[in-house]
Amino acid sequence: MSNQVIDLLQKLRQSAIKRGLQALISYHEEDSYLMRFANSAISLNTNEHLISLDFIAFDGRKKASYSMIVDPTDFESMEKGLDTLAEMLPHAQPLSYDPTFPVYEKDVVDERPFDPALAALTNEERLAYFNTLAEGLESDDIKLSGFFSNGTTTTAQISTANEHTQCFRSTDAQVTAVLSSESLKWEVNAEQSAQKKSDLDAEGLHADLALLVKHYQEDQSVQLPVGKYTVVFGPAATAEIVNIMAYYGMTGAALMQGYSFLKEEDQGKRLFSEKVSLRDDPGVVEIFAQTADRFGFERKPFPLVSEGRFQAFMWDQDSADEFGKTPTGHDVSHASLVVDAGSSEINTLQALIDMEREEDILYIPYMHYMNVVNPTQGMITGSSRFGALFLKKDGSVQVPYNVRLTQKFSDFFGERVQWLSQKQVVYNVSSSYGRRDPNALKVPRFICVKEIEISHSNPSY
Amino acid sequence: MREKIKEQLDLLKAKGAHYVDARWYPREDSNFLFMWNGNLKENNASSQSGMGVRVLYNGAWGFSASSDLSNPDAIFEKAFDNARIASERVTFPIRLAEKEAIVGSFTSPNQIDPFTIGLAEKVAFLQKMDSALNQPGVIQRFGMLEFVRKQIIFMDSEGSEIEKNIIEVFPSIHAMGIDKDGGMQSRKYMPGRTGPTRGWESINETDFLANAERIISELNQVLVADDAPNGKMSVILLPGIMFLQTHETIGHALELDRILGYELSFAGGSFVRLEDFGKLRYGSEKLTARANALEPNSPGSFGFDDDGVPAQDNLLIDKGILVGAITGRQMVEEANAKAKKQIFNGSSGANRASSFYRVPIERMTNINIDPGTDGSLEDIIANTKYGLVLDGDKSWSIGSNREQFHFACDIGWLVEDGQKKQVVKNPTYRGETLPFYNSLTAVGDESTWVLHYVDNCGKGAPNQIMQLGHGIPVCRFDNVQVGE
Repeated sequence: MSNQVIDLLQKLRQSAIKRGLQALISYHEEDSYLMRFANSAISLNTNEHLISLDFIAFDGRKKASYSMIVDPTDFESMEKGLDTLAEMLPHAQPLSYDPTFPVYEKDVVDERPFDPALAALTNEERLAYFNTLAEGLESDDIKLSGFFSNGTTTTAQISTANEHTQCFRSTDAQVTAVLSSESLKWEVNAEQSAQKKSDLDAEGLHADLALLVKHYQEDQSVQLPVGKYTVVFGPAATAEIVNIMAYYGMTGAALMQGYSFLKEEDQGKRLFSEKVSLRDDPGVVEIFAQTADRFGFERKPFPLVSEGRFQAFMWDQDSADEFGKTPTGHDVSHASLVVDAGSSEINTLQALIDMEREEDILYIPYMHYMNVVNPTQGMITGSSRFGALFLKKDGSVQVPYNVRLTQKFSDFFGERVQWLSQKQVVYNVSSSYGRRDPNALKVPRFICVKEIEISHSNPSY
Repeated sequence: MREKIKEQLDLLKAKGAHYVDARWYPREDSNFLFMWNGNLKENNASSQSGMGVRVLYNGAWGFSASSDLSNPDAIFEKAFDNARIASERVTFPIRLAEKEAIVGSFTSPNQIDPFTIGLAEKVAFLQKMDSALNQPGVIQRFGMLEFVRKQIIFMDSEGSEIEKNIIEVFPSIHAMGIDKDGGMQSRKYMPGRTGPTRGWESINETDFLANAERIISELNQVLVADDAPNGKMSVILLPGIMFLQTHETIGHALELDRILGYELSFAGGSFVRLEDFGKLRYGSEKLTARANALEPNSPGSFGFDDDGVPAQDNLLIDKGILVGAITGRQMVEEANAKAKKQIFNGSSGANRASSFYRVPIERMTNINIDPGTDGSLEDIIANTKYGLVLDGDKSWSIGSNREQFHFACDIGWLVEDGQKKQVVKNPTYRGETLPFYNSLTAVGDESTWVLHYVDNCGKGAPNQIMQLGHGIPVCRFDNVQVGE
């Protein structure tokens, strides 16, 4: 961790104190690189170096905040930000509850997810990675798209209560590679999340893409009839569904605001398949977990679902303050979600294709544009995309056009769950809206669920 | 700083760059207030400044941005280096459509700068709204005010120098309740833009209070309503949902970068092909859609895009036939070359970036549906045998090529034999884009037309949130699948 960051925070703390502010001061720095591909070319090559500061001032029940993206050498502008905050605070309307002011009891430095080699990755290396993963797979009709995003994120906090600081630094990479037919409009993809340079595996992505391209070129395409199917979900689909379920259903805020499909009395009840266990685990470095939340709460593994039993809601500090609950260390930008592995030895796509089966299986690796249709019913909708396969019980393979699923969380993770892979995969769900904030889930390679309803089936690619 | 930028534009041209531009944001301010159940949960002000530089070298783009302006030369150098590496993998060398070098400026029309209004007055507005919403049946309520003020200096190596000063306001109120079956229901009000300006004066307290009363009344009807029916029927989409239908299945589908495959790895592509322009029957003859960046009072109007091209009003769909797209300088050249004919006559001026640290891409401006000749909402209902009137964007999910969609709405009213009947809850509908628009059988007149703002349109990698508008009349579609 750079001493400059700590020095800046200490300096800003003194400035805040001088203005009579009781304040939390947060620092965010990103050094981001993104190489984007389209139509088999680099369509964009970017980098952004941005430094953001957030000041939150407290005066009893009054709160105000000021955020800035700022030149790190322009201390005068930072002080003006504090001046603005001091002007805003008296006019804030008091809350109906007492907000907690963060007081850090010790210095925290967590750089476990930081890898200097990944931080120093060059333009040439990003290009070489993509050239390797696509080698021999492109043609006049089959085009490469995708992006290689990597960066370093540094965050740090100090409060005016004392001189203790919390500092976190991580590196991350998110790679998506798409091969698509320009004439037929089919698309297959391969993705990877990396926390360190040695995680990067261009050959692995090449193998995944080659297998899917072979099936999409050689196997018969099909419009599936609507109806119920046994579906095997890939890690992208599983991670996105779990992420939405946890966000909309398993936070104290969602519970109190009436959005959750779960109720307070559901804690301890078996609502999901006993094959399903889900936890927030800050110990898993490769999913960019943090050891302390913004209020200095030491984060520990937090079971959400244990063998099908829903355990507890996650409470951030503000919601806990408002509703008289105990915070659970969840004043973080995202939980660090892990779905436990299962017992199935089906751990690769080739093994899934080759497995003996007594019924047809629809493989859906990825769900496009999911949204919550009815939060209190836990109902979501989305379409399959990127490399779905229809695995016939006679062993043959067909390529299905995209289908739409509109189902409840209990349909995905309830009694219809058949099996989960032994192998877990890290799937990167980072959004690059706004600040860099690496986020990934660790989920089984496959989850098989029966009786998933397909409500619409495209007539073509 | 302007002199420094000019110096660097010349320097990179001398080093072999084909084109260079810089967007310097001396300052962008925003202010966000969020009151939930009477508690001022967010009382935030923010500012940002920095510069983004785009370099075209040997047919490839490089971009670099930084908030650290202590050494602006470094941003130009990095952008040039990024372009140099990108040029090692080029399949279609980027060319830019011709444009005139412009020295000019744009200031969004407003009477009252919202940043001159004191915090106390803004909080007082939210408190009034909170009191108005705090009524029986409402268990959650919130109001939001967001204000943006930005100064953008655009300079390019072709001699353009444009200054933009833009102010936006985004107010809304929301009320939620629990229905008879335990489900969360909501109604909201985001005012249409009716006046000629877009400053603080566009927030009309009397109008908000009247609409607070309306949405609470509607919410309470939803809370005791039965579920919407299933099956195929007519749907009459009010502007409060038709704007999103238009946004997702006309706007995004007609972004030329999507059509050319530049968004495949993230947002998706488009079912539209280059050979479709001038031929494809997108919808019935009642459908005329346009990209009009000249509406004075909308965030979809910005004077000049981030290629330095003046804002325009262009037809997209003319009486059902696809005739235009949402374009920037790069994509029109590539599209014309790939089509081996001139489909597009220059950029439509729709290449925009959400901030100094993002690169410009094709974005919607104001994607509008022209008013029709089928009268008022009441007239359209009177001419409908069986169906639903729908309003409110509760949920939306669209196929990756914008070929199909699923929407859930906040409220529905049953229509039987030309009569608007009882409210129904949890209405949803889905369809395939082309058959859906070809089933458009009624378009309301100007009395039904509302200009909606959108403050959260996401696209691109790295992702960008953009603000825009949709001027939309009431529209009726027949034989639509409802209730899945």
